[in-house]
Amino acid sequence: MKERSTFLGAVNPMLITVVVALAVYGSIVVNAAVTGMDAGPGMFKRHLFGLAIGLVPLIVAWIFDYRTLEGWTGPLVGLTCFLIISPRIPGLGATAKGAQLWLEIAGIRLFQPSEPAKLVFIVALAAVIASQKGRISEFRDVARILAMAAVPFVLVVAVGDLGTALVFAAITIGMLLVGGLSGRWFIALGLAGIVLVGAVLGLNAIVDKATGQDKLLKQYQMDRLMVFIDPSVDPKGAGYNLEQSKIAIGSGELTGKGLKSGTQSRLNFLPERHTDFIFSVLGEELGFAGAVTLLALYLLLLFTSLEISAQSRDLFGALICTGIIAMWTFQILENMGMTIGLMPITGIPLPFMSYGASFMVTNLMATGMLLSVWARRRA
Amino acid sequence: MPDYRNKLSSRYAIFAGIVFAVLGLLFIKLWTMQVLHGQAYAAQAEENRVREITVPAARGRIFDRNGKALVTNRATLAVAVAPSAAKNQAMIQRLSALLDIPVSEINDKIASTKEAALAPRVVAIDVPLDTVAYLAEHESQFPGVEVRTHAVREYPQGKLAAHVLGYSGEISDTQMADPEFKNYEPTDFVGKAGAEASFESVLQGDRGKRILQVDASGQPRGVIEEVEPVPGRDVKLTIDSRVQKIAERALADAMVDAHNDHFPHAKAGAAVALDVRTGEVLAMASAPTYDPNIFLGGVSEKTWRSLTTTSSEYPLSNRAISGQYPAASTFKAVTGLAGLQYGKTTQWRQYDCEGSWTKMGKQWRKWCWNHAGHGIESFMAGITDSCDVVFYEIGYSFYKDKPKREYIQKMAREFGFGSKLGIDLPGETAGRVPDAKWKRSYNEDYPEYATWLPGDTVNLAIGQGDLLVTPLQLASAYGAIANGGKVVRPHIMKQVLGTDGKPVLTAKPIPAHVPKVSKRNVSIMRSALKTVTTTGTGAGAFRGFEGTVAGKTGTAQVANKDDYAWFVGYVPADNPKYVVAVMVEQGGHGGSVAGPAARQIFDALMGHEVAHVTASDRSR
Repeated sequence: MKERSTFLGAVNPMLITVVVALAVYGSIVVNAAVTGMDAGPGMFKRHLFGLAIGLVPLIVAWIFDYRTLEGWTGPLVGLTCFLIISPRIPGLGATAKGAQLWLEIAGIRLFQPSEPAKLVFIVALAAVIASQKGRISEFRDVARILAMAAVPFVLVVAVGDLGTALVFAAITIGMLLVGGLSGRWFIALGLAGIVLVGAVLGLNAIVDKATGQDKLLKQYQMDRLMVFIDPSVDPKGAGYNLEQSKIAIGSGELTGKGLKSGTQSRLNFLPERHTDFIFSVLGEELGFAGAVTLLALYLLLLFTSLEISAQSRDLFGALICTGIIAMWTFQILENMGMTIGLMPITGIPLPFMSYGASFMVTNLMATGMLLSVWARRRA
Repeated sequence: MPDYRNKLSSRYAIFAGIVFAVLGLLFIKLWTMQVLHGQAYAAQAEENRVREITVPAARGRIFDRNGKALVTNRATLAVAVAPSAAKNQAMIQRLSALLDIPVSEINDKIASTKEAALAPRVVAIDVPLDTVAYLAEHESQFPGVEVRTHAVREYPQGKLAAHVLGYSGEISDTQMADPEFKNYEPTDFVGKAGAEASFESVLQGDRGKRILQVDASGQPRGVIEEVEPVPGRDVKLTIDSRVQKIAERALADAMVDAHNDHFPHAKAGAAVALDVRTGEVLAMASAPTYDPNIFLGGVSEKTWRSLTTTSSEYPLSNRAISGQYPAASTFKAVTGLAGLQYGKTTQWRQYDCEGSWTKMGKQWRKWCWNHAGHGIESFMAGITDSCDVVFYEIGYSFYKDKPKREYIQKMAREFGFGSKLGIDLPGETAGRVPDAKWKRSYNEDYPEYATWLPGDTVNLAIGQGDLLVTPLQLASAYGAIANGGKVVRPHIMKQVLGTDGKPVLTAKPIPAHVPKVSKRNVSIMRSALKTVTTTGTGAGAFRGFEGTVAGKTGTAQVANKDDYAWFVGYVPADNPKYVVAVMVEQGGHGGSVAGPAARQIFDALMGHEVAHVTASDRSR
């Protein structure tokens, strides 16, 4: 086996084409979404700036040989945990929309550390699972992997970022699947998960009642969940966003109302239209045609990534790709799903589409990691 | 090749399947929403962003015959309170202090049942700007209170012709249920009385609408479609505001005269002036009157009560068309014409008045108003002096002539009594011309009173008994005598004006009745009526009048009341143009109270200098 060292061999043209297409498409829709907002022009510039900044981690990750990280499991888990809790460290954190999720130093807001934490987590988990060589059936092994995954997961839940916690869970499941967790264990863990969710909801009710306070799950999180189950319960409250989003997307019909001509988005019926509800703007203004175009681009992105994963030189690289695919797939499902009533509303952005530099940089870095695996694929 | 690959290939297949399923699921859901149900969502989006606002149309204005404005519109700032705010009495207290309106009045208006159940009640209009600013700044202290611009009627001439003009207000629930108002909305203004009500269909314009695009907070972001309101048409009345003003003043003067003449209960009356050829109403006054401004912004229960109790003398009632009174001696012209027409008398037939009359038997003695007796009187002199005996004789001879027993009634009906004339104002009454048939049904339950007796005809002959007439009917009947024998339907609307101010509709005289009476007999009556103001019962009132007047005084007896004073006549006597009727309830004698009032109105009609004379007349 001989490594490819030519520049052309390091390039995956399909992945780069798809990512460029998504970035352009996203910029067009973000530009439409922020038009009419007071800070609109500045926001669009910041979006483009995020894209430009993101090229740096993309190239660094691409050039960097991922294999050197395989033995660094401990420090990587530590870094993941640090990133997750860093906004809570006095002097580093800043609050936005009720949750303390931003890193801020000397009054300058830097980024949301939970975004890069996902990638660090993927690498750490990939290293642990890869060491099983594709066979995970012993209790000891399962326990070791789950214990490693559980630490950052619990921390994310603890800082109140339920959306990111779900992403972590999706990444873990995807990587366990490809990493060789036996069918029996999947069934057992699935049942355990159901019991756990039931226990958490029950415990939440008991604790809230006992203390008289909103302790474990926050009330707005419960509301979102209830509204997902029946959006008509409270159309002006928690269900209002979902209702308006569905109206926006549905009213786009086949070809949409035209860019910057969506009444739902222009007239502020859509909340957070440039971030969490960017797809509602796309759906309204570009219609089913625009939505299908996006789904096609995602299909190409995910299957190209799968191809890269399958072509990996080693299991470690394959699992890194798997984690990234699982992350993107879940975020696409959750974000688009919540705007059309398939999923409960959480604050998860849409890859390459939502406004937000931290998220964009993370996605570009993930692209760089895929390219890094591709560049070092087997001959 | 690492050994994990073959082992994990099925895992890759499952993973790829999940990824594909996720995208497929989203595709299917989007297909159903955007393609299958897109139109329903599009309709919801449209409903979200579109608000329709109705724009009220300006109500038509009302002018007098010379184009002088009587009713116009103006915009005012009004404070309205939601009915639910009544629970918050602390707030009502604050509002009361701010608006300087008693708490009870605000509560009255909130409790009003005259408006739709949930509609905010207007509690104050003409609210000063600084008060509006205060309310805006302290919005949280005044829940349920809103300020809005409110179009209200304006009355440039004040109370003038209040009964003719009427008033308007928010449509009532009962009107909403009426098919006539099927195109109206609950807050629309409609005419409630007078010309405002009768010309409602003309004065009311067509609402406009404005379709607005609104954002999520309901703020307008632009106009999608606008339909301009079509203002109501202006109406020009036959009223001459100068004559109207004098008629109202004359009526007020008449009541002062009555008080001076020891008739202290004179508080109400009516006056009407018509063009004898066209039936145009030049003036129509009713006392007591009211200020139409009290209806602006809705009337409180208390105010409404104060306008409708017995002690108020019913100021909202237009006595000129709805008041029903015994005609008394003014009716002698009708009896006289019947007598001449049907051979019961002649112009110069002689009667002997001894002050009382016993032809029906000594126990049924009937007095002449002049108990001393008029001596030998001709028919002509009977009109001049208003001698009752002459008309007892005529009435009795009708009674004795069985086939023509009810010919006085026939003549009365032909002159328009006993039925509505059809004036274009609401509230006209028919009056009553009594006959045997009426008496039978009226006293159905009292058979002993159900028979028509000779005394009934004799009483009718002098305008008493069960006869009831309206001032308008009397004026109209004398107008027919004046114009040579045609009863013309009186009317108040002269023209409907188009937007350019040019008439689009002009009222034409409509003959209502043509009495069967010869020209000769009419001219006999006219010459008799002429003597009344020169040598007869009206001489005092018309002493020194420039020109000639023909007419008749009347002093009506009403049970448990002081006598009602009447004068009806026309000018000029030989070429009549205008007829005037004046009636003062409990005013006493026609010649001393109603005559001088009529004279002022004649002066105004003829362009003379208006003179207020005092006269003394004791006739009936």
